[in-house]
Amino acid sequence: MAGSEHERGSFIRTMLGNRRRVAIAIVTVLAFATIPFVTERWLTQVFFTVLVFVILGVSWDIIGGYAGQISLGHVAFFGFGAYVSAWLTTPTRAGFPESIQSPVIVAVLGGAIVAGLLALVIGPVIFRLTGHYFAIGTLALAAIIELILSNERSVSGGSSGYFVDSGSAEYQQLFLLTLAVTVVTVIVSYYVVTSRWGLAMRAIHDDETAASSLGINPLKYKLIAFGIGSSMAGMAGGLYAQYTGYLNPADVLGLHWMVEALVVVVLGGMGTITGPILGAGLFVGLDWILGEVASGYSTAIEGLLIILFMIYMPKGIYGLITSRTGDTSEEDPPSETVPTPDESATD
Amino acid sequence: MVSPELAFESLLNGLLIGGTYAVAALGLSLVFGIMDVVNLAHGHMLMVGAYVGILLFAATGITPLLGMLLAAALLFGFGVFLQRVLLERVVDKGMEQPIIVLFGLALVLESGGRIVLGSEPQRASLGIPGSSIPVGPAVLSFPRVVTFVVSVALIVAVWAFLKYTTTGLAIRATAQNTDAAQYMGIDTGRIYIITLGLGTALAGAAGALLSILFPFTPYAGWSYLLKAFAVVVLGGVGSVIGTLVGGLLLGVSENVGVLFIGGGYRDLISFSIFLLVLLVRPQGLFGSSGGGE
Repeated sequence: MAGSEHERGSFIRTMLGNRRRVAIAIVTVLAFATIPFVTERWLTQVFFTVLVFVILGVSWDIIGGYAGQISLGHVAFFGFGAYVSAWLTTPTRAGFPESIQSPVIVAVLGGAIVAGLLALVIGPVIFRLTGHYFAIGTLALAAIIELILSNERSVSGGSSGYFVDSGSAEYQQLFLLTLAVTVVTVIVSYYVVTSRWGLAMRAIHDDETAASSLGINPLKYKLIAFGIGSSMAGMAGGLYAQYTGYLNPADVLGLHWMVEALVVVVLGGMGTITGPILGAGLFVGLDWILGEVASGYSTAIEGLLIILFMIYMPKGIYGLITSRTGDTSEEDPPSETVPTPDESATD
Repeated sequence: MVSPELAFESLLNGLLIGGTYAVAALGLSLVFGIMDVVNLAHGHMLMVGAYVGILLFAATGITPLLGMLLAAALLFGFGVFLQRVLLERVVDKGMEQPIIVLFGLALVLESGGRIVLGSEPQRASLGIPGSSIPVGPAVLSFPRVVTFVVSVALIVAVWAFLKYTTTGLAIRATAQNTDAAQYMGIDTGRIYIITLGLGTALAGAAGALLSILFPFTPYAGWSYLLKAFAVVVLGGVGSVIGTLVGGLLLGVSENVGVLFIGGGYRDLISFSIFLLVLLVRPQGLFGSSGGGE
């Protein structure tokens, strides 16, 4: 259904319809591709972080912004994907047989697949919870996964960490791989949210009861969103593991990744794909500046930003740009379909 | 194998700690039940209350049992401020905005705590001499018994407040049906302010009490949030007596559970109980209102 010829055609038309947007996207991607060759390693690392945040933000937004399921456990899939990819390139350190040792690309895909499968296994259970219960349930889930991996030192390295051997891959190649994955993630996300799946997700977000009375199976579309979003997060984790070459549970399963994914989405604009992309760039830039001028205060300032944006600018930077330029050719944020009394007052 | 004496002592200790867990959860439960907002910063407010108790004790030697009053007063003010300045703008606009705003607040409190107080674990002690109390083969520590008694007294006081005062009646009416309460002339905006103030004050009091028993770091917030939420889920949202029973249950299962699976997994017990109860019986073991919404 969502993959029918007609819709695929309209998807490509939509993607290419806005020449300016496509041109900006291509120039940005090409500029990113030159980064590891023209700058130093630490600066490449900064841009690598931007890409990881783009993947994390966009993937969270499919679950939270489109399907309306506020997941606070996104980091569990990121961390799990990171560990799976680490086990696949460096199996013997965790006591796995050497025969499963795989190249980096396979390992990253493996992380994505396992994270996606984990989401599909947990999904039917955790989606028995709705609203606040879902949010806290996912928070508990992430806490449980972190606790288990921290305690099982033999597979995770515990607090002393797990060194990842990414073979002969140079950091430049890993950066380009991350860039390619990011581009694919963004295109797939656009495709999903502009398809009938995306429409169904938004319907569930707006009113689950009404959606299901119109013949939409809420669980099915929540699972699709959760599975796709989580496997993307797993992929981001896998790339992070290979790029940094070192994991420990407190880092990759720590709440700060959840915070950052959320900041990226809230700054950029929930329920859009462009929003988190802008948000990631803005956030990393901001984080870098804060690190220079107000080192140690950055988390507090991030928290404040979340509060202020959520209250005064719930549609984020992207909402601000589109309302200024009147450019609404992209997907409409779901919140616009629900008229709230003081919609105009909050912009 | 675990000896019966040890299991018995763990059971009693679990009951004693469970009373304080109930206080920790009560504010969360009331705010959720009455305002339909999950205070994601509840654990962090508890942490702030604990530090009020710790710092007061360290500076003056005043027992956290009195520090508890200061912590509750400060956090009541903070709750009122929070509702008037931030939450009033986002409550009743769906769940996304309040929950994300409170998530942000939790981050601010956590990193603010780290900046002001550092990451080293700190604790207070009871500051009142008293000897351990033998019960059969078990020996109960004096501070635990005292905090338990104070905790139960607090819960009974909140129960009586909701049951027998006019404000309590207005709060219960608002919880049942906000619109109907408004038609009856209840200022529900004011009720929300009082409720959030009461909820955060209870978090502060619970924190001061817990600072007698456990060391605190600024990062303790999330763990206590999940514990408190586990109690809320066990006891049913908005139910005072249910919360007490839920707290006792959680305290016992945690204390007896660690005997079998080891201290490293202490938090796993509460988190798992929480998920299991939620999935099997979303309205809570003792709740009657429909949960899951």
